Amino acid sequence: MTRPSEVKPREGSAPGTPYATYVVGTELPELRFTVTPAIVEEYMAAVQADPSVYRIDGRKVAPPNVLCVFMTALIYRKYPPIQGIVMYEIDMESHNPIWADEETDVVATGRVTGKSEKRGRYFIHWEAEYRRGDGTLLARLRNTFNVPE
Amino acid sequence: MEKRITMRQDMIDQYGRINGDNDIVHYDAAYAKARGFRGTLAHGLHVTAYAAEVAARTYGASWFTGGRIATKWIAPVCPGDDVRVSLGADGAIDARVQGGPVMVGRAELLKR
Repeated sequence: MTRPSEVKPREGSAPGTPYATYVVGTELPELRFTVTPAIVEEYMAAVQADPSVYRIDGRKVAPPNVLCVFMTALIYRKYPPIQGIVMYEIDMESHNPIWADEETDVVATGRVTGKSEKRGRYFIHWEAEYRRGDGTLLARLRNTFNVPE
Repeated sequence: MEKRITMRQDMIDQYGRINGDNDIVHYDAAYAKARGFRGTLAHGLHVTAYAAEVAARTYGASWFTGGRIATKWIAPVCPGDDVRVSLGADGAIDARVQGGPVMVGRAELLKR
């Protein structure tokens, strides 16, 4: 089992990364983690999920967005977070199920795709891809967050 | 379809435990207010999860093999807020607290 806190640098655990340090085009180091039935169960409780929604032909399936609790681990391992980061937007595609009754080994990769400033607020744009250990695509996402200056 | 939740600090804390973050804007009301917010902030992806569930209910099994959700968080969700997240027939997501918009976006099936 991988808890997000095991792979995600926490705010305050290392000197945080100011906006100027992010470099567009940077490839983020590959991240491997395992989504377990226990993680799925805890996630579903945390988002007040209705279990009746998460079945395919009678088999329990995880909410695809369970990957979101691992999301920032990929970029924070390269760029440790400063306090006060606020998420701005996400665009996520789900391509294959994450079953809730088995362990799923996940390989995440990604890159910083842009930086922008709008009305004095500073934004980081990045993208990620999540695959099973056998290469099967699980999900892609693009995320933007605001870094306080 | 829609989902309604009254946000509480213990829900934010619970999401924070599985999310593994330590961003005090979610946990320290004095800090959050000093930054100009009404109170601590629910995680944006916590609120997105509500919209994703409405989408999963709407689109069924296809959601897990070809769903796309895009959300933008435009205002905070704080403890005590009554959150209503709806998905229109056109795929538009509308999330509100006390009638004011907090998140917009779309949820739809990928075209293949």
